Amino acid sequence: MQEERGIMTVFKIWKHFKREELYECYQCARCTGSCPAMEVAPAFGPRETILKCLGLGYDQLVEDEKLWLCCTCNVCEDRCPQKIPISDLLVALRNSAALRGNIPGRLSIAIELLAKTGRSMIVHQLDEMRSHHGLAPLPPVPVDEIRQILKKTGLDAVIEF
Amino acid sequence: MEEIVQLKEKNQGPGSRLEKNDLRIGVYVCHCGKNIAGTVRCEEVAQYALNLPGVVLAADSLYTCSEPGQEQIKADIREHKLNRVVVASCTPRLHEPTFRAACQSAGLNPYLLEMANIREQCSWVHLHDKEGATSKAKDLVGMAVSRAAKLSPQFELTVPVLRSVLVIGGGVAGIQAALDMADAGYKVYLVERTGSIGGRMAQIDKTFPTMDCSICILAPKMSDVGRHPNIELLTLSEIKEVQGHIGNFKVKVLKKARYVKKECTACGDCIQACPQLAPDEFNAGLSIRRAIYMPFAQAVPSRFLIDMDRCLNNQGIVACDRCFQACNPKCIDFADEDNLLDIEVGTIVVATGVDVYDPTALTELGYGKFPNVITTLEFERLINAGGPSGGELIRPSDRKRPSKVAFLQCIGSRSKRSNPYCSNVCCMNTIKDALLIREHWPETEIYVFYIDIRAFGKGFEDLFQRARREGVTFIRGIPGEIIEDIDTGDLTLLGENTLLGSHYRYTMDMVILSVGIKPHKDAPTLQRLLNLSTDTDGFYMEAHPKLRPVDTTTGGVFLAGAAEGPKDIKDSVTQASAAASRANILMSKGEVSVPAITARIDLEKCTACGFCAKVCPYHAIEGDKDLGYFRVIEAACKGCGACVPECRFGAIDQAHFTDEQIVSQLDKALSEDPHKKIIAFACNWCSYAGADFAGVSRIQYPHNVRIIRTMCSARVSPQWIERAFLKGAGAVLVSGCHPSDCHYNNANQHTARRVEKFWKRMEKLEINKDRLRLSWVSASEGAQFARVIKEMEEGLKKLTPVKIQEAADKLKKAICKKREAS
Repeated sequence: MQEERGIMTVFKIWKHFKREELYECYQCARCTGSCPAMEVAPAFGPRETILKCLGLGYDQLVEDEKLWLCCTCNVCEDRCPQKIPISDLLVALRNSAALRGNIPGRLSIAIELLAKTGRSMIVHQLDEMRSHHGLAPLPPVPVDEIRQILKKTGLDAVIEF
Repeated sequence: MEEIVQLKEKNQGPGSRLEKNDLRIGVYVCHCGKNIAGTVRCEEVAQYALNLPGVVLAADSLYTCSEPGQEQIKADIREHKLNRVVVASCTPRLHEPTFRAACQSAGLNPYLLEMANIREQCSWVHLHDKEGATSKAKDLVGMAVSRAAKLSPQFELTVPVLRSVLVIGGGVAGIQAALDMADAGYKVYLVERTGSIGGRMAQIDKTFPTMDCSICILAPKMSDVGRHPNIELLTLSEIKEVQGHIGNFKVKVLKKARYVKKECTACGDCIQACPQLAPDEFNAGLSIRRAIYMPFAQAVPSRFLIDMDRCLNNQGIVACDRCFQACNPKCIDFADEDNLLDIEVGTIVVATGVDVYDPTALTELGYGKFPNVITTLEFERLINAGGPSGGELIRPSDRKRPSKVAFLQCIGSRSKRSNPYCSNVCCMNTIKDALLIREHWPETEIYVFYIDIRAFGKGFEDLFQRARREGVTFIRGIPGEIIEDIDTGDLTLLGENTLLGSHYRYTMDMVILSVGIKPHKDAPTLQRLLNLSTDTDGFYMEAHPKLRPVDTTTGGVFLAGAAEGPKDIKDSVTQASAAASRANILMSKGEVSVPAITARIDLEKCTACGFCAKVCPYHAIEGDKDLGYFRVIEAACKGCGACVPECRFGAIDQAHFTDEQIVSQLDKALSEDPHKKIIAFACNWCSYAGADFAGVSRIQYPHNVRIIRTMCSARVSPQWIERAFLKGAGAVLVSGCHPSDCHYNNANQHTARRVEKFWKRMEKLEINKDRLRLSWVSASEGAQFARVIKEMEEGLKKLTPVKIQEAADKLKKAICKKREAS
């Protein structure tokens, strides 16, 4: 069952993305030039990602930690003269990486936290602050519902929670 | 490779006698090297043809269009007394004239030739399906043989060609074409929309790669036009209507009022007096002009004009007459009116040129928002001595000289967000501009951000090298973002140097966007008026991209300059001279033969109902009820065939596209496995050409389609569609030019009407309506044609032979009932 779902997920990863679309890239670098992640991590770039996909294959990329720097703001896609779905490529690559267990540690902690508490981060003074400003305490989180959503996305096959 | 020729003679036994009416068809299957033979088994097709009725000889050859190939046909016509020739090769749009000429020189009427299109519409579109392609080729040859059997000799009329020519557009291409033809002795009408000839070249400062002063080399040509006795220059004029045909076009030209008389001495006193201001178009909006103005200093005609949209005297109410008062020779004439001129010409040269791309839509570059981001055209005006700054390089925000300048390449070109094509001229233009800055202000730092530098022409690479040697910095990688410093107006460019793989951040004083070019905004209007085709980018399409590059599909109309595709000055001038020379051939000969494909009315059968006259797009059918019949004026008939299906009495037929001929093709196509087949009726100008284009582009589609060519989709008779369904055809496609693009004056409105009527009939009989499809496919839409066929094939998969037979029975019953009733 687990195996089957894995295959299903791989199939779904590439469903919205045609590899042929990458061939239209002529490396103008407008994407990298407009990438906000580039500001904080100059080593990362969508242009280079596409070039590596074409030249080295996807497998070489899924182990690259830099993939996780993308914040899926979609600006690269918006500026791309060839209308290459770069965000879709990056998401697909990250899904592929996740399936092989290449998830940065801090990210899997956040996911576990989300599955257990329904929140991606816990701020202890929050209730105190809210009551200080006259706001009601935060409503309880429907944790079961969130877990179900996470399961539907196939995340439970990648991370145990 | 050795030429493979198979010759087999039938009916040669003793006692076989040649009757006068005996069919003796020769079939030639061309390999076209590997173009056809790589996919289609040509020998097998020739073998198949030999067994078709009427065929006495079938051969396959490596290149039928070659000299030996043609000689073989000629020899066979003489030796084997062939009275019909079928050539299975490329599209008839390419080599029909070649083979017709071969037939004629061997004494066979050229209209007894038939072609089967087994390259563009078979081998090239079924590259990976040898079986399918071979069986389709057999069918196509079979259809051609059936049609050939029904062909009859035709004789072409010749029409005189007037020794006058209309040139549309007064840019450098129009000027060159006009001068060439005027020098050759023809009367030339040069029509220009603006107030002066000169076009884009007049706006440019220097030309590449020789760095000539643009206006200095253009101005003498402009004055030549102005004083040439054979040229009638019509400025501020637009084409309103084009009637007629090759040899005799009747054109209506709207000459707009100039409000300034011929006597104008261009002294300029009026400008001082005029209170009304407007942006100066010639300076790309960088300066202002008055409502009364001269387009530019070297303008031809050298006369002022009044822009009535700006003048206070609009609508005939004289609120201000200061220019009139200031004018000493009294040349201002507020009563001047627009004039509609009628001119008659033998040929037309279209030189409508290009517009520049407007980069406002690319918001990340800030054009229109940041004053120091300008386009290359604005830059040309800025460094031109006659421009707004008198040739000083200044930046718009503070009018100071920039010390760091960036050029951005491929703006609006090679992009799905704007124009997908390469604009051809921008790389060299930027290099030239960079060198001009270097020449005048050597201390300026110059950066060129590019993807690829395309320096393909004579002397181009030298110029590129010179720019590099003189210290122009070329950086591979287009900036993704430009940020303006509000206080200083300086611009920061963010991007990646792809060769170093590193991020860059440059601060520049001025950024120049190297914008691409696009077809002139008037191009679609003229395209409709002249029945031209455009490619997917909107440029006019040539009759053949390699061999007839300045001809159009409309006889007697030629293309010059960038209207046909992005071109630099040299190429525009070359093409203009070529177009002039092509027009010259027609005019110096003085006559041209027109295809013998006119409609003919059988006076015995005609009941004088006059329905045919109502649908004729050219008013070429005359007669009345009192006369008892209608007749076709052959010289006026263009051969669309729209009238033929309109006749309920079968009194009209079209020469060379008779009902009998088409039906024989149809029957042959459906003689085997009809339920698997799609019959496609395609018009010669758009859809058949579109199917050819799919072949040229190697776009693959299912092999079960059989294309039948008519001149216009309006020729397609509902009876043919009915017959196809009765015979059990799986699906029928009727395809023509897009509405308003019809090459026969909107005759295809009748196609739509007839198909809709047939759909209603199918609905009534509860026959699946999807089996009849109407689709508009233009000559450049090969992909669209392939898509339509693929979709129809999908629909066909849902049908069973039983269902198709049931539908045919229903249709048959309905026809019988109708017949009984009448």
